[in-house]
Amino acid sequence: MGWWRNFSLSLRVSLMVAMLMIAVAVIASQLVLSALDRQQVARIRELARLHVEALSVALGPFVLRKDVWEVYDTLERAAGASEGRRTVFSAVADRNGRVLAATDPRRAPVDSPISRLANGAQLPGKLQVGNREHNVKLLAPLVYQGRKVGQILTELDISDLVSERREARRLLLLGNAIATGFLVFLGYLATRRMLTPVSRLVSRMRETEGAPRPIPRDEVPEGDGEMARLVNTYNEMVRAIASKADTERRLAERERFVSLGRLSSSLAHEINNPLGGLLNATDTIRKYADRPDVVRQSADLISRGLRHLRDVAKATLDTNRYERTDTPLSPEDFEDLKLLIGPETRLNAQRLTWAVEMDRQDQPALPAAPVRQIVLNLLLNATAAAGKEGRVGLWVATGPESLVIEVSDSGPGLSDSARVRLLESGPVPSNGGVGLRLVRELVTGLHGAITTERRQGMTVIRVTLPVAVRDAAAGESGEC
Amino acid sequence: MGAAAVMAPALPGSAAAPFRLGLTPVFLDNDALVIERLRRALVGALEMPVELEQRRTYKEVTEMLLEGALDAAWLCGYPYLQHEDELSVVAVPLWNGKPLYRSYLIVGNNDDALDLSDLRGGIHAFSDPDSNSGFLVTASDLAKMGLRPDDFFGRTIFTYGHRNVVRAVAAGLVRSGSVDGYVWEALARMEPTLTNGTRVIRRSEWLGFPPVCAHRDRVANPEVQKFSRAVLDFDRTSDGRAALNLLQLDGMTPAYPSLYDGIRRRMRIYAALR
Repeated sequence: MGWWRNFSLSLRVSLMVAMLMIAVAVIASQLVLSALDRQQVARIRELARLHVEALSVALGPFVLRKDVWEVYDTLERAAGASEGRRTVFSAVADRNGRVLAATDPRRAPVDSPISRLANGAQLPGKLQVGNREHNVKLLAPLVYQGRKVGQILTELDISDLVSERREARRLLLLGNAIATGFLVFLGYLATRRMLTPVSRLVSRMRETEGAPRPIPRDEVPEGDGEMARLVNTYNEMVRAIASKADTERRLAERERFVSLGRLSSSLAHEINNPLGGLLNATDTIRKYADRPDVVRQSADLISRGLRHLRDVAKATLDTNRYERTDTPLSPEDFEDLKLLIGPETRLNAQRLTWAVEMDRQDQPALPAAPVRQIVLNLLLNATAAAGKEGRVGLWVATGPESLVIEVSDSGPGLSDSARVRLLESGPVPSNGGVGLRLVRELVTGLHGAITTERRQGMTVIRVTLPVAVRDAAAGESGEC
Repeated sequence: MGAAAVMAPALPGSAAAPFRLGLTPVFLDNDALVIERLRRALVGALEMPVELEQRRTYKEVTEMLLEGALDAAWLCGYPYLQHEDELSVVAVPLWNGKPLYRSYLIVGNNDDALDLSDLRGGIHAFSDPDSNSGFLVTASDLAKMGLRPDDFFGRTIFTYGHRNVVRAVAAGLVRSGSVDGYVWEALARMEPTLTNGTRVIRRSEWLGFPPVCAHRDRVANPEVQKFSRAVLDFDRTSDGRAALNLLQLDGMTPAYPSLYDGIRRRMRIYAALR
């Protein structure tokens, strides 16, 4: 029945209506045909009864006298005079079942037992007629003056009645088929028309890529019928979805700023600490301007400090640039992330384990920006979960078909609301931020998968991103 | 079997009464054309109304003639001889130029019987118990063998008509039949499909043809005399010839004394056994 489900609803309903009509037509035809059959069987029974009665009246005295010739002569004349030569064969027996005469004496010789011919014979009152029978055989008692004086066996040709029945059956079926066909066609059109709004709705929903679009007001069915309510409900649903998506988008945006805020305070420390050293170095240069070795040493110190500040600034900038999606992921991105998360872990006196197993030869063909966002959010989540003096870890490995990122922390594990945000696509719970939902959306966008587990007291969030490995060496050799 | 020509009933011999002729099924029974032609020929010759009376059996016609209900009747030689002292032959038909005919013993054309003796135990059809060719000939042949028909045949039936005997044999209702040879030959020309279903296995000697008789007491009556002359002159009138042609006869002739000796002999043989 799989093929049946592939049909559209309107087609299925139309076909079902058609099948229902055909079924009704078949049942109606059957009823009419059986009534016709009953009527004709009654007619044939009446014919048989009259035939036997007429023969009984004509033959009675001869059978009583066992007058072979008169019985034969009467049978012959009756057969010859019967309507349309209906009598095919007749035989009459005496009370002992011995044939007195038959229209075909060779088939039923005088004095032979009539029972020899009675196989398949029926009583006129209980006559049954098959559709393919051309003759019916009757065996009836021959009653004369109120007593049974013999038996009549007769075969009647009913081929005209059977063919009449066949013709009536054919015409009835043909008529019914035409009428049913016409009604089925009308039913199909009416159903299709009634279900047009549903088809349109389905079509709209199918056309929808990303955000569903409402059905224009002029296409909404008139009145307050089910279809109008259905389309209106759909439109309301579309608007609700759009509103929800908008809310989530705004929440994600806010989350980005929240992350940024958290980073900013860390970075303020990161910038503030070297600044003290740098200012000291400038004071030293000013104080010992005549001592070149001190000046050089201080200049080196200033240079290292400024470089560090430049790296921090660059990492922050790169992390927050969404538009740089076309830049491929490289080991440097993880170095940037380490630089960014470093102050946070140091602030919390946490132990950071960092292992990035990615070399320049098999860099995964993944965009850097979303991966950086994913890892940064997971690391921020981990540092928050791990608490003071906790443990946070990152393990990145490039497989043949995927990039695997594992972020672990020694925190108590994911709360239910965090799990919903990270692993499910349902509505975002009202409590908590949307950083983990942002992770989920980014991973889904990259066709990846997220799993979580507890491993040796650590909460491990594992992100698997499918990749096509970019052959960096080949790319470089191509440039030569 | 009623009156062939519907006339006002009247006593025979009275001035207004029609001439009443009885007919046995000696020839082609129920042949309306033959009866009409015969009636027309008689009306023309007698110049008076004529009624042709048919009955199913020879016995009925003979009794009507004996009772005076008929002026004349076409009987068979056997009933004539049974009542020879009361009846007189008015005329005898000529068939093939002679007042003679034969009895045929017939079987179905697929039957392998060759003679009467081969038919033992079978069903046999006689025409009439008072018919010479349709009963007496075969019965007397069996009497010569010391047998009665019911002893020799498994079953015998009477069809009361020579044509019916042919029908019964041809249809296979009976195995064999005793039939008037003149009727069989006439049927062979008129209804060959009927006689083709039969085969003649025995022909009797020539015997006196069924005669037209009148009661001895009335034979001198003018109507009977006129009738006698009319039938004897059939071959000389157009209506008479037409009737004779249909009957496949040549004419009528007065009987001669020994004409029915053959039948008389057979009657004696049969009576001896009875």
